[in-house]
Amino acid sequence: MKILGPDLLVFGVDHVPACCEFLIEYGLTPVGVTDQGGRFEAMDGTGVLILSSDDPSLPPALSSGNTIRETIYGVQDAQTLEAVGRELSKDREVRRAADGSLHCTDDLGFAIAFQVTVRKPYAAAATLTNAPGSPPQRGPNQVAVDPDAQIRPRTLSHVVFFVPDAARMEAFYHRLGFRVTDRFTGTGAFMRPEGNADHHALFFIQTPPFMQGCEHFAFHLGGPSDVIQAGSRLVAKGYQSYWGPGRHIFGSNWFWYFNSPMGVHVEYDADMDLHDDAWTPREATIGADASQLFLMQHREKWSPGGPPPA
Amino acid sequence: MSAGTVLCRFDELVDGEARGFDPQKGGQDTLFGVRRGSRLYLYRDLCPHATSPMAWRKDEYLNRRRDRIVCFAHGAQFEIETGRCLLGPCIGQSLQAVAHAIDDRGNVRLV
Repeated sequence: MKILGPDLLVFGVDHVPACCEFLIEYGLTPVGVTDQGGRFEAMDGTGVLILSSDDPSLPPALSSGNTIRETIYGVQDAQTLEAVGRELSKDREVRRAADGSLHCTDDLGFAIAFQVTVRKPYAAAATLTNAPGSPPQRGPNQVAVDPDAQIRPRTLSHVVFFVPDAARMEAFYHRLGFRVTDRFTGTGAFMRPEGNADHHALFFIQTPPFMQGCEHFAFHLGGPSDVIQAGSRLVAKGYQSYWGPGRHIFGSNWFWYFNSPMGVHVEYDADMDLHDDAWTPREATIGADASQLFLMQHREKWSPGGPPPA
Repeated sequence: MSAGTVLCRFDELVDGEARGFDPQKGGQDTLFGVRRGSRLYLYRDLCPHATSPMAWRKDEYLNRRRDRIVCFAHGAQFEIETGRCLLGPCIGQSLQAVAHAIDDRGNVRLV
């Protein structure tokens, strides 16, 4: 089943204007956003939908108070959508919405939906690197750094859930063609859907039931420099860094996580590994040594030698 | 944190709002307070669950109605007066209150 990954994450929040402000600063593009909320899109059309927690169009809230209300997955085509519908109809009610999308709950009660993907082709430059020993990617006079560069999230990368039964979640998404790429022992699995080579579109963290919800989501940026430049801009505006910048081991993606008014972490990531079915999943115990290759921490602007002489 | 450190003048604090403090001047707020009338509720900026700073942006520690403290790491909600977590990942645990006094010049001072 060619599921491509999450197309849209739906949140029901306490403070709609704060969430809208945050997601715009994060770099997403507001589409039809009003005082009541709306959609925030990356370059390929994937995104986040913000609505007030009492909006009647939302699926019910989780009892944990977590603000995630629905995860809408994009699938490759109408045939795949029907295949997903047939599989899930075996043991649960699947509702078809007016736009053709299919809605149900997964085995732990998270609202999920499936639609023919909104992901559209887009072109965006790679970060070019000059590495001695290899042909240069940037020729003479081609300057890499632009302090005013516009940095936009390119595509919705992944979503991570606190779950009371990680093994059950893994088994459920396996039914839909997701593969395990790596695993933290006793914590949960990284999974990629059949239609996407990215190391993970999903990751589960085993927790007590009262924590169930979204831990974080991430959009891909163009490269590590984009992650650090965009994150530094958020810090300069007073946003609260949680973890980063750094580089993960599983997935190899660069990361920087921030607190958000949705009450979930929001991550910038870049340069994630790709996998296919020839890959053998690794397993490690979660912890600082296993989850980060390195961690850099922010410091206010500084340069060696101190300020110029008065 | 040393006793006697002055955080701010009490009358600089906006009634009903929160404010973060960085008494060690490390570039990261480590305390925050919520003023309610003549009272200041002062806590370490440290979520009992995530062991991390709690605001989503400088001084943003409260929900929209300004009647709960929220950790914007994972959405835990705390009672302002007691620091007790009422909902979320650290339910039943509490924020660490920080002893302070308002001196005769109107300064909020750690004790």
